[in-house]
Amino acid sequence: MTRAALIVATLAALAATVAAALHLSPALLAWPAALAAFAIAAAAGSSALALGGRDDLREPRHERGPSRLDPLPDDIVTRGVFGRVWLYALGAFAVLGAVPFLALARKPAPRGTAWAAGARLVDVDGRPLRADDVAVGGVETVFPEQHVGAPESATLLIRLQDDALRTRPDRIGWAPRGNVAYSKICTHAGCPVAIYRHESYQLYCPCHQSVFDVLDAARPLSGPATRALPQLALDVDAAGFLIARGDFTEPVGPDDWWRTA
Amino acid sequence: MMVRRIGRFFDDRLGSDSAVRFFAAKIYPDHWSFYFGEFALYAFGLLVATGIWLTFVYDDSPARAYASVVALSRDAPVGYLMRQVHHWSAVTFVAAILVHMARIFFTAAFRKPREINWVVGILLLVLASLTGFTGYSLPNDVLSGTGLRIADSVLLSVPFAGPWAADVFTGGGYPGPLLLSHLYTIHVYYLPMTIAVLLSAHLGMVVYQKHTQFVPEPAHVVGRRFWPDYALRMLAALGATVAVILALAGTFEINPIEQFGEYRDFIVPNPAAPDWYAAFLDGALRLGPAFEPRIVGHPIPAIFWPGVVMPSIVLAVVIGWPWIDAFVTRDARKHDVLVAPSGAPWRVGAGVALIVAGFVLTLAASDDLQSRTLHVSVTALVTFYRWALPFASLGAGAIAAVLARNVGSRVKRRRSEPERVVTLRRNARGGFDEERPSST
Repeated sequence: MTRAALIVATLAALAATVAAALHLSPALLAWPAALAAFAIAAAAGSSALALGGRDDLREPRHERGPSRLDPLPDDIVTRGVFGRVWLYALGAFAVLGAVPFLALARKPAPRGTAWAAGARLVDVDGRPLRADDVAVGGVETVFPEQHVGAPESATLLIRLQDDALRTRPDRIGWAPRGNVAYSKICTHAGCPVAIYRHESYQLYCPCHQSVFDVLDAARPLSGPATRALPQLALDVDAAGFLIARGDFTEPVGPDDWWRTA
Repeated sequence: MMVRRIGRFFDDRLGSDSAVRFFAAKIYPDHWSFYFGEFALYAFGLLVATGIWLTFVYDDSPARAYASVVALSRDAPVGYLMRQVHHWSAVTFVAAILVHMARIFFTAAFRKPREINWVVGILLLVLASLTGFTGYSLPNDVLSGTGLRIADSVLLSVPFAGPWAADVFTGGGYPGPLLLSHLYTIHVYYLPMTIAVLLSAHLGMVVYQKHTQFVPEPAHVVGRRFWPDYALRMLAALGATVAVILALAGTFEINPIEQFGEYRDFIVPNPAAPDWYAAFLDGALRLGPAFEPRIVGHPIPAIFWPGVVMPSIVLAVVIGWPWIDAFVTRDARKHDVLVAPSGAPWRVGAGVALIVAGFVLTLAASDDLQSRTLHVSVTALVTFYRWALPFASLGAGAIAAVLARNVGSRVKRRRSEPERVVTLRRNARGGFDEERPSST
């Protein structure tokens, strides 16, 4: 049995080598290799069983501590000048070690986006968009021109019927001809809020299922998000293309301790 | 013979024969449930072996990381298999550690004097999960990149220091220029080195303190010699682990990043779900309350509660379990003999409750999929899981405790019944007479 298993292991290992050399499929490489390993297991197992032997051999357990002989004298442990010197030395080295790491940390700059006043809205292929390019009920991921893929800048452009939006007083004129734009970065954990359900005017995050109300300033309706998606103020330039009036007025993405806006 | 001559060479210089004799003759208790830790050990060996191979082809620059992993899978079956074996080994590693830990827990092997090794074991589980997560993120595909973004948000949510640490980690913003390079160093160096050191301590303590056993004989270790008996069993376990992982890797594709595409922060895979051992955290993020209080103007993001506070509490309870257990049982003595799970129903209940809680959170991490197949709203499922978390785990714990107590009392009854000895004696007529013990 053992000998047969070892022969199988050798042959299977050779077969795996051949499979690797000939660039055969991963499965044809894996299975002979697995067979080789299994044959080794079988050989070892059958040898172990062939030993028979007893499983009731005994060896005394020795008591491991507490040490009864010669407990450590007090002055070795903490007392006197030794304790103080070592304590201070350890503290000093700990500080010396920690300071360079603490020095690495700097208060992160506010995470601005690439949006600026006058920046045209372009789709992911870099094509600028006019006010009528997105049909009513449609949605498009947009970036500022020249900045496709810029971090934190992904924005959703959603086209609504002209009077559907419940515009807040401080946001009048932000959504020309029913084009409303919200940050695509979820305020919960930073996932892209990728799903738009146009029949219910809801944005939906596939990571943790936060739902935002497109008609009401992207306010969170359900799920773990606590903050609305920031809205990008839009305008139309002389050539008829959609532009941003400036960067987002609120921070984009998840909150943190230093974000006290 | 060659082996003898080599042995003599070392013995002349180091006196190594006495150590060889000591370790070869050392007795180890044998039981099928003692092998889970070994499976984890061998999975770690496979991880190191395949991981070293993978470092020769992986490129940690943000622009080329994804392409280097795709090319590795495309160019040769060996490369594809190496990555598959590596990932399957990681999954096996974490799973084996969890089962091993359950065995230790339910047989109370963590009791004095082995509390230190229990803590080391928990640290190894945490490190194994972190190594798995950092490795999973290295291909820079859109699935792992999304998971990493969530992890970054969790780190950001830590009051005061979180944003600073996150900034150092990513090199500024997200994804950040240094993110992959930092992940790579952490994944191939800091974490595995720490695992190797703690693993040595873990095994060293088992040798030094000696293994626990079921045989109720506290004064002795009862089992088999290491050489050749236990060594052959270990080789068999090693071969079996390697065979199973290779067969899985060659049969079931895991993490097919070619199908996901490269990470871009405006694309998200739908459904988005992490590796199974991180899923309970994702589930917790889904169930967590939309609660964002402010402390003197500073926000504490909602994600902080399920993402940092909950896991910290669970970890603290698990690490402190040997002391909690000693307090509850009012038992501060040393133990080398294991108890069967039925011997301590309340402990079975506590363990089962924790496992079921983890299971509920893991299920919650795919509530979007369940919503689609069951035609129930996600909100309803979230409400359901929020109630299920305490009630299902406590209920299951109570049921498990009652079952364990029934088994326990049956075992006890069987043990307390006197053995019925019937002696047959040949009589003069050629038949048999029964002789019953006089006491009954």
